[in-house]
Amino acid sequence: MRAATWTGVNDVSVETVPDPTLLNDHDAIIRVRKTTSCGSDLHLLGGYIPFMRAGDVLGHEFMGEVVEVGKGVRDRKVGERVVVNSFIACGHCWYCKQELYSLCDNGNPNPGITEGLWGQSPGGCFGYSHAVGGFAGSHAEYIRVPYADVGAFVVPEEVSDTRALFASDAVSTGWMGAELAGTKPGDVVAVWGAGGVGQMAARAAMLLGAERVYVIDRFPERLAQVRDHVGAEAIDYTATDVLAELREVTGGRGPDVCIEAVGMEAHSPGVPGVYDQVKQQLRLQTDRPTALREAIMACRKGGSVFVLGVFAAAVDKFPLGAMMNKGLTVRGAQVHGQRFMPRILGHMARGELTTEHLATHVMPLEQAAKGYQMFKDKEDGCVRAVFEPGS
Amino acid sequence: MPLPKIVSRAAGLAGGAGGKALQQLQHLRLPGAGQSSVTDDPRTAARRWRAVTVLTDPAQLRSSTPAPLAAFGDRLEVRVTQAPGERGAELAARFRGPVTEDEIGDLRAALREAKALAEVGEVLRVDPQPHGHRPATPQGAALEGMTEAAPKEGVL
Repeated sequence: MRAATWTGVNDVSVETVPDPTLLNDHDAIIRVRKTTSCGSDLHLLGGYIPFMRAGDVLGHEFMGEVVEVGKGVRDRKVGERVVVNSFIACGHCWYCKQELYSLCDNGNPNPGITEGLWGQSPGGCFGYSHAVGGFAGSHAEYIRVPYADVGAFVVPEEVSDTRALFASDAVSTGWMGAELAGTKPGDVVAVWGAGGVGQMAARAAMLLGAERVYVIDRFPERLAQVRDHVGAEAIDYTATDVLAELREVTGGRGPDVCIEAVGMEAHSPGVPGVYDQVKQQLRLQTDRPTALREAIMACRKGGSVFVLGVFAAAVDKFPLGAMMNKGLTVRGAQVHGQRFMPRILGHMARGELTTEHLATHVMPLEQAAKGYQMFKDKEDGCVRAVFEPGS
Repeated sequence: MPLPKIVSRAAGLAGGAGGKALQQLQHLRLPGAGQSSVTDDPRTAARRWRAVTVLTDPAQLRSSTPAPLAAFGDRLEVRVTQAPGERGAELAARFRGPVTEDEIGDLRAALREAKALAEVGEVLRVDPQPHGHRPATPQGAALEGMTEAAPKEGVL
């Protein structure tokens, strides 16, 4: 089959690779209909997560059709149109029973790498390096899905392939941030980052009853999507002082809930941006936490900050004093998508949650290298490059 | 020596080094990153109980020693206790006599397999995975060495 592979730092190629096979009884094989680039892939491409091997198949956000199931699969059937969560979870361990699926004890066959780094190992993830299992990704014609009954969800008839695609990760991640941060009716929510995850966190906050939602970014086309498709307020951080702006629109309190959807390669203008770039390039910090710092400073006393952006290890100038003295709750996670996907698909079927606008550039899988370059450079207003294997 | 042979030899060495590096990293504690249960001296580390919590009735594990642990025979002591808060059973094991780092690695992998078998009924496999061309480079071989060692490393 054809697949898009990581071949080195900032290097993607499409090549012929072996077809996947069933390896476990709970596996299914999915024919991929749509698979999308994700902002977190850029950390792999840029070499910030040094556990990629040349030839690894990229991609973790996808949907398709079941073409084969293992003998232990009970619920999924051949021919079903499904969307699959990006994280691999067994459904049986204590973490899965608590619906903390990305923390699954049995989803990552390489626990020694992340246990050494973080003290414990999260679950596995498709196409996201050998640190989280080394599973082949979805930018391919076919993909093996372990624990298929747990991670693959049937797409309702009313939901298009493109809308369903983003339930795999962008929507489920965004929803998790809004819900686990404790968003309540009447809250003011601020979201840093207007990529797919940030937009969907904002939409989820609105569906959870937030009274006002603000999304912060600098790209005009993304800010326009926030206003036109999500229905939230947009703040351009290059045109205003974000902290002052948020104080002004919240009666001086600050947002009740702050969601960071940017991650380890945050951009920031001026001296702070240069400082973080230099420290990261010198390996004096692994991640640039610009948006996270701002979220903590912006949040109201006793408020909640949720970290959705991917971070690898250590950051500098973390405002621990603000966090402690303001009594903040700070939480983060990789996506516990299996917990939220049934509800998300319901909202999608009722037309309350739409995602088609995120797919700004849809192209054949053969053009994956070009797609990633456009996505990385935000060329032509690219929000997401979506690949269609076999087209 | 021809270049491909040099690269291939370097890659071979790097693979072993990758596994070794991962082992060494388990001993390293940097501020803010790095954890280890094996900073003890080798004698103490060898005697320490290594444990996983299994979401199952402890009676199930007590009725017969899980196969991955039974494979060690009389060399292991195995202990099963009730975990607090409805978390299932704490399954622990340690060697009765002197032991090497590699054997401790085998025990870590066996405990993880025993847990997966009890909870899911099978151990998740990852190989063979579809992949594209993998040139023989020292960095690639080091990562492969790390990956091969990963099931046997970690904080257990």
